[in-house]
Amino acid sequence: MSDLAQGFAEALRLLGRGDPELWSIVLRTLAISGAATLLAMVAGVPLGYALARGRFHGKTFLLALVNTGMGMPPVVVGLVVWLLLTRSGPFGGLDLIYTRRAMVLAQFLIATPLVIGFTAASVQALPPQLPDLLTSLGANRLRTLWILSREAKLGLLAAVMAGFGAIVSEVGASMTVGGNLRGSTRVLTTAIVTETSRGNLPVALALGLVLLLLAFLVNLVLTALQQRRAG
Amino acid sequence: MDVTLEQVVVVRGGRCVLDVSALSFLSGTTTAVFGPNGAGKTTLLRVVAGLERPARGRVLIGNAEPARDRGPPRSALAFQEQVFVGGSVRRNMELALELRAVPRADRAGRIAEAAAECGIGTLLDRPARQLSSGEAQRANLARALALRAPVTLLDEPLSGIDRIARTQLLDELPRLLATFATTTLLVTHDREEAFRLADQLVVLVDGVVLAAGPKSLVYRSPGNREVAELLGYTVLAHRGGLVAVPPSGLHLGRGTPGFVLTAERVVDMGNHLHLIGRIGQARVNLRLAPCDTPPPPGAVLDVHAPGCVTLP
Repeated sequence: MSDLAQGFAEALRLLGRGDPELWSIVLRTLAISGAATLLAMVAGVPLGYALARGRFHGKTFLLALVNTGMGMPPVVVGLVVWLLLTRSGPFGGLDLIYTRRAMVLAQFLIATPLVIGFTAASVQALPPQLPDLLTSLGANRLRTLWILSREAKLGLLAAVMAGFGAIVSEVGASMTVGGNLRGSTRVLTTAIVTETSRGNLPVALALGLVLLLLAFLVNLVLTALQQRRAG
Repeated sequence: MDVTLEQVVVVRGGRCVLDVSALSFLSGTTTAVFGPNGAGKTTLLRVVAGLERPARGRVLIGNAEPARDRGPPRSALAFQEQVFVGGSVRRNMELALELRAVPRADRAGRIAEAAAECGIGTLLDRPARQLSSGEAQRANLARALALRAPVTLLDEPLSGIDRIARTQLLDELPRLLATFATTTLLVTHDREEAFRLADQLVVLVDGVVLAAGPKSLVYRSPGNREVAELLGYTVLAHRGGLVAVPPSGLHLGRGTPGFVLTAERVVDMGNHLHLIGRIGQARVNLRLAPCDTPPPPGAVLDVHAPGCVTLP
């Protein structure tokens, strides 16, 4: 209990004094997970829509694959990305391993199945004839997708929350492909692991609280947006 | 604007669901596409609306093919199931007009006029998805009619609503179509709707047109047994051929052509009695006049059908 209280006090102290390293880690965490979430939305929303609306052989198989991907262990994703990007791997020449871009790639792969799955579920919940209605009224494909996205906004915002929540809190993939390099690829989760391994528990706890606070603030904004639009 | 179908074939899942060699809906007419469930009626409407592209042949609205035309659609389709985006009735109508590129300044007037005529003027600010089935059907219609498209397509416009709302709408629809629509195609499996709302009739069965033309002509000359039965006739064998007896066309007593009816039971309909029985293999029913004595089950009676049609 005293460790917890100490951690909380340390968190307040670190935040209060504007510790530059802490703030750089927070901003880096936000930038990497934010970029990965954005990319996952760009790729995942159209794919989720196509999966929900398309009529093709293997649709059930693909949906099952996406649903499996929603629970994929980040460390496994990290391992696969590491094998692809490592110097001797097929994309080693790109020199991406242990960079922030490698972390964005790994987090993108973790978030995308979540975005696809949530999008597909929310699009499937819409009236099935809605796309035909919009087409009959003269909407082109892009406009139809936009209107359907607005209609499925609750599910899509849930997709953002789920995707961001999953990657901002994962440690396995970030550690594996980012390498936890101080000042370069260290994010909140990998910093927590480092501080814990050093026995620096109050700082680790402080970072944990900062991570929770960060996730809460992002979700608060998204939930407010979701509920305002729902109303 | 005329609608023309030429050699149109629609295939779905390897099965031909529509096969129309030639069919025209002339400008200014209201045509009921009438047939049983699964006859291809909605498919016909969808190809005219450009939502489905035929495997063969072409559909023309005026001189444009709806599925290929890049301009604004020339038809307005009211779906059988009332489909709305989230938000008010007004928002739904506004979106429809916006997608049809109706100038913003004209939209409010068009919405108010169509809503008032369809009896939903006071519902415009209600959430469309929370309307009762009757109100939703009116909103569905108002949205389609507000477009004032050259061709109006109505898919089962009176389905899924209660009897009172259906009766009211059945009375009002001809006036609404006369006000807002020019060429109208409506799909129905209900004979009464087809005859009350349309002046032309197309009978569609298994994707094939079995009869088409002015409704009185189609009704008076059903052409074959299937069409006759769909139009409500009872088909009976008579002297080696077939005759089609219109509803309420059987009467007790001797006459020409005459039949022998075996009584099965008498049903009290409240204000009159109905006699149910058999003529050969065909089950028939006959409205008894107040002066007729209800026959017991098994009684053999002479009946005649003076207004029947001889089938080829």
